Amino acid sequence: MRIFENTNYNLVGSRKRGYAVSGILLLLSLGAILIRGLEIGIDFRGGMEFVVESDEILEVTEVRAVLTPVLETSPEIKTYSDVGAEGQDALLIRTASEGETSEVQMLIIQSISDAFPDSNPRVIKTDIVGPRFAEDLKRGSFYAVLGSLLVIFLYVMLRFEWRFGLGAVAALFHDVLITLGVFSLLQGIMPFSMQIDQAIIAAFLTIVGYSLNDTVVIFDRIREYTNLFKTEPYKTVVNRSVNTTLSRTFVTSGTTLLVVATLFMFGGEVLRGFSFALIIGIIIGTYSSVFVATPVVVELYNRSGSAKKAGQR
Amino acid sequence: MQGNGFKVGAVIFFLALSAWYLFPSLQGISLNNRLEEMGQEERTDYERENYSRIESIKEKSLNLGLDLQGGMHTTMEVGLRELLVQLAAERRDDAFDQVLATADERSQEEGISLIDAFVEEFERRDPDARLSRYFRSETITRRSDNADVTDYLRTQGTDAIERAMQVIRNRVDRYGVTEPSIQTQGSRRIVVELPGIDDPERVRRLLKGTARLEFRLMADPGELNSSLQRIINYYEVDVAVEADSVEVPAEEDIAEEADTSFDVSQLLAETEGLDDVGNPLLDVLIPAGQGSVVFGEVSVQDTATFNMLMADPDVQAMLPRDIELLYDANPSGTGGAEYYPVLAVNMNAELTGDVITDARSDFDQTTNQPLVDMEMNSEGARVWSRLTGANVGKNVAIVLDRVVYSYPTVIGQISGGRSQITGLASQEESDDIVTVLKSGALPAPVEIVEERTVGPSLGIVARRSGFMSLLVGLSIVALFMIVYYRGGGMVADLALLINIIFILGILAGFNATLTLPGIAGIVLTIGMAVDANVLIFERVREEQSTGKTLKASIDGGYGKALSAIVDANITTFFVGIILYSFGVGPIQGFAVTLMAGILASLFSAIVFTRIIFDYVVIGRRGIVNFG
Repeated sequence: MRIFENTNYNLVGSRKRGYAVSGILLLLSLGAILIRGLEIGIDFRGGMEFVVESDEILEVTEVRAVLTPVLETSPEIKTYSDVGAEGQDALLIRTASEGETSEVQMLIIQSISDAFPDSNPRVIKTDIVGPRFAEDLKRGSFYAVLGSLLVIFLYVMLRFEWRFGLGAVAALFHDVLITLGVFSLLQGIMPFSMQIDQAIIAAFLTIVGYSLNDTVVIFDRIREYTNLFKTEPYKTVVNRSVNTTLSRTFVTSGTTLLVVATLFMFGGEVLRGFSFALIIGIIIGTYSSVFVATPVVVELYNRSGSAKKAGQR
Repeated sequence: MQGNGFKVGAVIFFLALSAWYLFPSLQGISLNNRLEEMGQEERTDYERENYSRIESIKEKSLNLGLDLQGGMHTTMEVGLRELLVQLAAERRDDAFDQVLATADERSQEEGISLIDAFVEEFERRDPDARLSRYFRSETITRRSDNADVTDYLRTQGTDAIERAMQVIRNRVDRYGVTEPSIQTQGSRRIVVELPGIDDPERVRRLLKGTARLEFRLMADPGELNSSLQRIINYYEVDVAVEADSVEVPAEEDIAEEADTSFDVSQLLAETEGLDDVGNPLLDVLIPAGQGSVVFGEVSVQDTATFNMLMADPDVQAMLPRDIELLYDANPSGTGGAEYYPVLAVNMNAELTGDVITDARSDFDQTTNQPLVDMEMNSEGARVWSRLTGANVGKNVAIVLDRVVYSYPTVIGQISGGRSQITGLASQEESDDIVTVLKSGALPAPVEIVEERTVGPSLGIVARRSGFMSLLVGLSIVALFMIVYYRGGGMVADLALLINIIFILGILAGFNATLTLPGIAGIVLTIGMAVDANVLIFERVREEQSTGKTLKASIDGGYGKALSAIVDANITTFFVGIILYSFGVGPIQGFAVTLMAGILASLFSAIVFTRIIFDYVVIGRRGIVNFG
């Protein structure tokens, strides 16, 4: 079976269309992040999360009404899928309360069992992050992101020429921003937690690595073809490179997307936000290596090379 | 086929190595299955007979993270701030407290050590000031310069963490958890991982308990009663002032309308207002009668309000000298709601827990209530005997971590250094107190700054969903590769299988822990592992389409794809390294499997598949179809 065999799409020629699409997506994402903001998880702001299992199905709104006066701050409550013994949903209760863990936990259980006598609630999972620890996690993640971007940039710079480095980094920012934008837009709409926590940062860095993977394969081919077809215009060479690698790009993205979708469906609630970020990131990353990273290289080449290589274009 | 000897050897070597490391895990799985089939009795017998074998299998098996088997992960911080206060002791002054507060803030914001921040802040405030003003020891005198004191403080800090770790290890060992892990993280944190914990609340208490046992004298009942009256009056007065200020406009209204008529509704409103305010103290406190060391009783819900009311400096001044109020550990059983007695005890302890040489959990002969029997060393016994002798007829409070467990009336002098803690709720509690008393006291209070608990049932669910995604992901990708690349795809699938054996082998070999994010890393690697083969196969197809022979195409495909494969994987590997160094817990698990996956997949996709192709195409003159 073959797809995209011997294609000759004028992908470089239609890069303007790519700019328009990316521009709109970037604007939407930036707008969403600025207006709607991002939901920060307890990893980075501190707080407590309890997953409460019960014998009868509890309604989110009713439980919230019961807990709000007791906890003094309105807790966030979501359903937490298929964790119970018979596969029934549990509730995820998230509060910013700074009290003693045992006391808050007792308060929650007590209030729920008072209000719903047959529910027999029990805590099956807790995540507690103190404000001090959250500060450290935030700092660690910040350095992790910064470090990754730097190392990747340096590597691409060393391995390829600077235009490629810039192209790759432009694509990375594009991918991460749009994925963040999607998170900002969909938070509260999707039935699972889309808060920015450690796992999401790991997902973002994986997206960064993945997006680069795609880009590097195309760049590698451009480098090879530039030496092979010295007489042809740069644009043609680049376009041919993108076309010949297109089949690989789709196959690899396809297989990776398949496994990530598997994780999303079967990996359980803990991995849902994480794998969702990866799904978005892989789609955007594949698109960006063809429509962002490569065109940036062409543009930079045109601009810097226009004087001395005017005859080639 | 020539020159492949080394490659074949390498593949066999790594496979054998992985198998060696994974064998105990396989044994573990079959052992578990066998144990589950057995009945309860048969199982205990079997476990007793094969104890050492089972232990060794467990130890060598691939570790499962707490998220996959259930358990409790806590990160604890030793309170260096309290340690500094303790070290400075009575030499501490306002300037010290201010510097400490700023230093604490800075260390939190900038993530630097509190001791360093303290020294810096101290020197910035007054470059000529001497730290030795506050700290003394055998080596530190008034003349010691700041560098010496700083060194001393740093040593005290690391000592405190080491001692805390030892104490916590003792407590955990006594509590009895299978395969606990206690490690330091950075310079001031201790990470405790306890698999299979079913009572996180009890563990929390056990870990944090400083077990500061004190024997304290109590307030003089007469003095206490008069200060209780004064404090009640104080709040009474307070209310009157408030009521006055409310009434001012009302009075003007009355004066304007009719000065003689007595407005009943007005009076009602006033009294209602008074009722609403009441005496805020009496709203929450049931005062005790005369002649008691009890200050009063407070219901559970009102403790916060009561503490706030009593925190008023004016009120504090009204308490008898050197007396503070502490809660009783046990509610008095009056009525439906739980009321906690508030007791007036001396601020200073006559005796502390470090004189305790032995402690034992026991039951009261007559009431059958749980209690803790304690024995003191000779020094403690002497003080105890003098203390009880001098205070016959008075109460002695036995205080543990600022909670009064009992305050028996001294009947006669006690010699021999025996004492008891009574008033315990359960045997569990007496056991825990014994554990904490015998493991030694923590050098400074510890705080749980992070806690993640996963119930055992949830662990099973996570394990199931992790392996499910692994299986489904693997099958889908394997199927796709065969459909898309036919024969080549089959070889790639074989490589994929070997790849997973390698990853698990690497994890077991390095004694790494498999977590749910770790499984996600493996699943992700499955998707990306075939990438190397995809790159090669695409190249082979390209070469074939130019009319080359199969052998030449395979040669060309491997040769030309290599640089792209390496470039593409190195960057993701970098990300793995960075995630590992900055991430914590589960994220590190993800990073480890991601890195292991990249190494394994490079090896299996480049070396292993090449051997197969060489064997089939060159050795057997066979044909491989690349679809």
